[in-house]
Amino acid sequence: MASNAGGSSPPSASSPDGRPSSPLPVTNSSPSQSTRRSGGRRRRGSASPYASSPSLGGFETPPHPGRRTPSRAGAGAARQQRQNWAGRFPPTPSTPMSTDDIPPSSEAGDDETDGGGGVDATPVFVWGTNISVQDVNAAILRFLRHFRDPRDAGRVDPVMDEGKYMRAIHRILELEGGESLDVDAHDVFDHDPDLYSKMVRYPLEVLAIFDIVLMDLVARIEPLFEKHIQTRIYNLKSSICLRNLNPSDIEKMVSIKGMIIRCSSVIPELKEAVFRCLVCGFYSDPVMVDRGRVTEPHICQKEQCKATNSMTLVHNRCRFSDKQIIKLQETPDEIPEGGTPHTVSVLMHDKLVDAGKPGDRVEITGIYRAMSIRVGPTQRTVKSIFKTYIDCLHIKKTDKSRLHVEDTMDIDSSNASKSTEEDFLSDKVEKLKELSKLPDIYDRLTRSLAPNIWELDDVKRGLLCQLFGGNPLKLPSGASFRGDINILLVGDPGTSKSQLLQYMHKLSPRGIYTSGRGSSAVGLTAYVTKDPETGETVLESGALVLSDKGVCCIDEFDKMSDNARSMLHEVMEQQTVSIAKAGIIASLNARTSVLACANPTESRYNPRLSVIDNIHLAPTLLSRFDLIYLILDKADEQTDRRLAKHIVSLHFENPNLEELEVLDLQTLVSYISYARKYIQPQLSDEAAEELTRGYVEMRKRGNSPGSRKKVITATARQIESLIRLSEALARMRFSEVVEVRDVVEAFRLLEVAMQQSATDHATGTIDMDLIMTGISASERQRRENLVAATRNLIVEKMQLGGPSMRMIELLEELRKQSSMEIHLHELRGALGTLMTEGAVIIHGDNVKRV
Amino acid sequence: MVGPQYDLVGNPLGAVRATFERTAAAAASESGGADPVAAFRGKDWGAGDLFRSFLFEQDGLGKVPVLDASNLGLIKPNTLVRYRGMVQDMLGNEYYIGAFKDGSTWRTNKYTDFSPFSMPHPCDSHLWERHLFHCVPAPGQNSWTLESSPGPDVRRMPNCLAPELREKRKRDGDDDAMDVSENGHGESSFCKKPKEGDVHVSSSSTEVAGTVPEMNGGDHHIPGSSFSCLVKIYDMPESQVKLNDVIEFIGVYTFDPELAAPSDNPDDIMLDLMEDVTVQLPPSKVPRLHCLVWRKLSSHDFISRPVVEPSPSLLKGIRQSLLSHLTLVLGNDELAAQCLLLHLLSRLRNRVDVVTVGRLSLNFAGFNKESASIFGNQLYSLIQKLVPYSQAIPLSIDYLNSATLQPRKDNKSGRLVTGVLQLPQGTHLTFDETLLQTGSLTSKGVENTMLLKNLMESQKVDYDFEYYKLEMAADVQLLTLSEGKSNILPSDLVVPFRPSSVPTVNAGAEETESWRWYLATVRSLPQSTEPETYQMIQDEMVSAMRDDRSLGCSELSRWLTMAQIMASSFGEKSLSLEHWHMVKELERLRKQRMQ
Repeated sequence: MASNAGGSSPPSASSPDGRPSSPLPVTNSSPSQSTRRSGGRRRRGSASPYASSPSLGGFETPPHPGRRTPSRAGAGAARQQRQNWAGRFPPTPSTPMSTDDIPPSSEAGDDETDGGGGVDATPVFVWGTNISVQDVNAAILRFLRHFRDPRDAGRVDPVMDEGKYMRAIHRILELEGGESLDVDAHDVFDHDPDLYSKMVRYPLEVLAIFDIVLMDLVARIEPLFEKHIQTRIYNLKSSICLRNLNPSDIEKMVSIKGMIIRCSSVIPELKEAVFRCLVCGFYSDPVMVDRGRVTEPHICQKEQCKATNSMTLVHNRCRFSDKQIIKLQETPDEIPEGGTPHTVSVLMHDKLVDAGKPGDRVEITGIYRAMSIRVGPTQRTVKSIFKTYIDCLHIKKTDKSRLHVEDTMDIDSSNASKSTEEDFLSDKVEKLKELSKLPDIYDRLTRSLAPNIWELDDVKRGLLCQLFGGNPLKLPSGASFRGDINILLVGDPGTSKSQLLQYMHKLSPRGIYTSGRGSSAVGLTAYVTKDPETGETVLESGALVLSDKGVCCIDEFDKMSDNARSMLHEVMEQQTVSIAKAGIIASLNARTSVLACANPTESRYNPRLSVIDNIHLAPTLLSRFDLIYLILDKADEQTDRRLAKHIVSLHFENPNLEELEVLDLQTLVSYISYARKYIQPQLSDEAAEELTRGYVEMRKRGNSPGSRKKVITATARQIESLIRLSEALARMRFSEVVEVRDVVEAFRLLEVAMQQSATDHATGTIDMDLIMTGISASERQRRENLVAATRNLIVEKMQLGGPSMRMIELLEELRKQSSMEIHLHELRGALGTLMTEGAVIIHGDNVKRV
Repeated sequence: MVGPQYDLVGNPLGAVRATFERTAAAAASESGGADPVAAFRGKDWGAGDLFRSFLFEQDGLGKVPVLDASNLGLIKPNTLVRYRGMVQDMLGNEYYIGAFKDGSTWRTNKYTDFSPFSMPHPCDSHLWERHLFHCVPAPGQNSWTLESSPGPDVRRMPNCLAPELREKRKRDGDDDAMDVSENGHGESSFCKKPKEGDVHVSSSSTEVAGTVPEMNGGDHHIPGSSFSCLVKIYDMPESQVKLNDVIEFIGVYTFDPELAAPSDNPDDIMLDLMEDVTVQLPPSKVPRLHCLVWRKLSSHDFISRPVVEPSPSLLKGIRQSLLSHLTLVLGNDELAAQCLLLHLLSRLRNRVDVVTVGRLSLNFAGFNKESASIFGNQLYSLIQKLVPYSQAIPLSIDYLNSATLQPRKDNKSGRLVTGVLQLPQGTHLTFDETLLQTGSLTSKGVENTMLLKNLMESQKVDYDFEYYKLEMAADVQLLTLSEGKSNILPSDLVVPFRPSSVPTVNAGAEETESWRWYLATVRSLPQSTEPETYQMIQDEMVSAMRDDRSLGCSELSRWLTMAQIMASSFGEKSLSLEHWHMVKELERLRKQRMQ
């Protein structure tokens, strides 16, 4: 006996006929009580046809030798064992098995006594335990009647005089719709921890009592209410990992998270069978299905007929209920490294059928069960192997996205029905919020981004801003402003640009990583090409599939074909992609941030040339990048040494990362996706002011005293960039308000990026013109000078309509006159200008004054 | 303890039960009638120890026959066998009645699928669990590894032979061991097996790879070879075994035609989804192995050579002979041979986020179709003789568009359908890119190239689980033969190949053996870190950067990897300046060629 205590005993082997007990419904909720007889969990209700059988005064009848039938088997066995009561009839070691054979009628008569609340003075125990049926009964009744949601406290509500679940019951009665009462296990725990633990350990028994109590309550309120109300428990205190289910969990209530990978079709399961006599046409009474078996009447029951073996099943008079089996698989985050996901079958009934679809992430509360496998229809031997499944009580869909969190902050947290849906992840959200409150979160995030890529802190900050993103804005007028931040990294080879890109690709929720070499922006086919000279093969990977709402990382941006690049114009400003195919032009959304990296044209960055000259990108495209970072490999012993140290430490397996407090990749991803989803910061007035002030100052800086020429330092595009950057910075703190400090930091980031890229190498000041037109102000000045000098020279040397002059000669002359160093192509440019003025005509290398 | 009483090879279950019943009885008397067996759940009561001591201390390992495709039908069920295979899929766990009370004695069902005694219908019983692994012969396993640890010939073991065969044997003669004809027959069939493997293996790389898609197409339930084994493991946390581990299992071989009887019944349609995956692995086709003892296999386990202390002088000698052989095979291209040696010795040592340390993929450029077939085949057959697992993959447009490289979970059957890239750790892959012509790739082709690229760059393979992808860590050595530098498979090291003679060499068995030992040993040599080395390398790197500004992080990192391998190749435990300079010189020569 003792060996079976604690619920660890397995179901005994199945019956001699070798049939497995079918996984019969535990949560059957068909209207008629009588059908419940066939269920795995028997329900005793007043509607039971057996209600008139003599009451034995207990929850379960004791084993009665005379009543044994050989039909009990399989999964029912263990349940039977335990449901037997041990109170007055302590079973001998052999009796547990005999309880298998209790005929269906034996348990039916209990209802009058315990349905009414357990008036019986004799304590009745759940078999093998010290759980008193009456106690449980009373506890459940107390819970249903008196449980009040602590969150409701203090609310003025006309129905407040009733408990949470009484209200729910009333609601069900009024609507006549719901056939189930959802019971939050947390409420049960709060009200009565003892009841909770009993319920989890002996769910079959306790839930049966629960249903009885519930039906009884309903009957008192509304005697005519006929539907059966099902108790559905959810939200257990602890949920178990699918992979950690083990034999000791069998017959316990468990809660499991997973992903549905397969659903069977809906199976109609026979509940009541009706037979007709082929001889006289007499219809039999409905016959209950008992554990997957129907006993066909041998003799026609009509007195006049009495024909034998004449009964046949009438399908359309039978009653069926819905049933479905789904496969639940572990979610990827629970799978240990080097393992494959585990799966478990889940049995759904009635209302739960089709509650989830393949691909859904769900949390299932149910009873873990096992049944023996039949070897073959003809074999008597029983395999020692068991199949396991979960009888589902409640299914809850968790959000498909990585994070599901509470609604916006302003919603009253006392809103019970909402918060319960979201409770289970709230601890995770709490942790993220906790993190966001750290004073050094900004630095910490920076450190966590690609921790093994050394240095480049400001670049990383810019990339962080890109990950968080700004707010897209759509004006009523139809104009829209993108919230995505585009970044271009230009730099010498070997400065870990590619690694940064790869890392970003991993972090961003819908990242695409592609190489500019062989990417056509929207092509649809992929092609392998071979360089005829070197034999190098290149994959033209067709579709540069643009990731809507993600980060599109383009490596080797400079190698991208002009055609593909021009496509990016549209993507980066309008956030759409147009595809022309078969005469139709389709415009697709492409709300993506672009992170591109390019190598300088001459393999190394030539500091004497402008950015444009170095990377050969159209200025129009370049200006669409909010931040352009030059990652230059400066010949600096100090940085070299640090790089060397970094590499060596990677190899000798002691990367000094532990000392730094970094977030792991997973946390970082959740942090970012939470912020992107739920934080929509707005500019505060002070911040807006600061933005204006800073912008004006930036523009002023161009007019440096002593410099005659005017340099445009910043443009309206930069204001947009600044707003996006400050919004992203506020998001990093989970702040709904963009503060002054965000704006200041945004300015700093922009300046850092511009100082590197938009520095006019002739003057040393920031020059946005360099990016806008590709020519710096000082360069423009120089050209103007050259044009003037050339004009003078021509006027001086050449006759109007006279003989032409060779360009080389002109160059010689110019060089003699001027202190400037002049190249032929510059002269050509100047002459071009003069030609448009109509001053000269150029024939090949010859210049003629007109 | 009970060794002599039972024939552990012929009747392992008898020994298991004897120990169980004795221990249970002892426990029962001790605890005074309380349930004595409850404590045995998930634990070994001494049976495992008994077999371990028999196998490893009393030298019983050699007496256990090896289960393979050739003797599948010959071995008698319920005998002890050895099986070496790769964990191809993990099928979760299975619950079974571990112990039940038969009258007054407790009996056990451990290590068997069904009860040897009829279980009294209702009885006290305990439900235990065991883990199910689907194992297949390691993909790309080279034939020499099979010879390394041959078991006794089953045909000469009457107690392990299936009954009908034993009958036949009896007629042949009484003296089992000395029976000449039987002996000869046994020998020949045993030797034939590796030979068959040889034929298959030495065929041209195209042919080998040509079979790959075929094997993986069609019936996906039996991946690769038709011979697989369902291994049931007891008493261990599942996390100890990882997917793609190659493991030697020693356990009870069971096969029961009774269990194979089809259990499909039309009215059981609803149970279809409850059916576990084992149904698709009928016991009549897939043998069951109830594992008593298991161990993970490393490349060392395939080498029959006696254990020798790897002294630097010994290793240096072998290194020299291997290097000169490689040079010959590569048509006297010594630079290429040096790089190949480093490549063969590389292994993934560390993984820091997206950065992998220690890998050294190699790209021999400068091949055309003809030279690829001459040198490529020579090279590949040499690699086959040197490493335990290797495969050659012809990288043609057709192949890319049709091959199933990615392992995929079939949620319908609940099985992991293998792909070419489901490989045991330490596999060597040779890609022949000279076959790649211009052409368009299908979406599958693109996916395949992405997989290969990802494998090259981060040593990871994405397994497709329908609703999400799961990244599995891999450790694969990748060698690419191509015309120009391969951009589809970007290798760490690109070496233009310049042969000056035609390869005509054959290595002796003794030599080959020593090379295998050398490779396995050097790859597992530990590397020590001394602060001086640390500093020295840093200084070297800084000065190298000063000389050549184009050196970047990845390049320097590769140099360090090469230098470390170079040091180990001489049997040195720590890196010295000498090795660093050797690598620098190698790089200088290589760069010269690149121009």
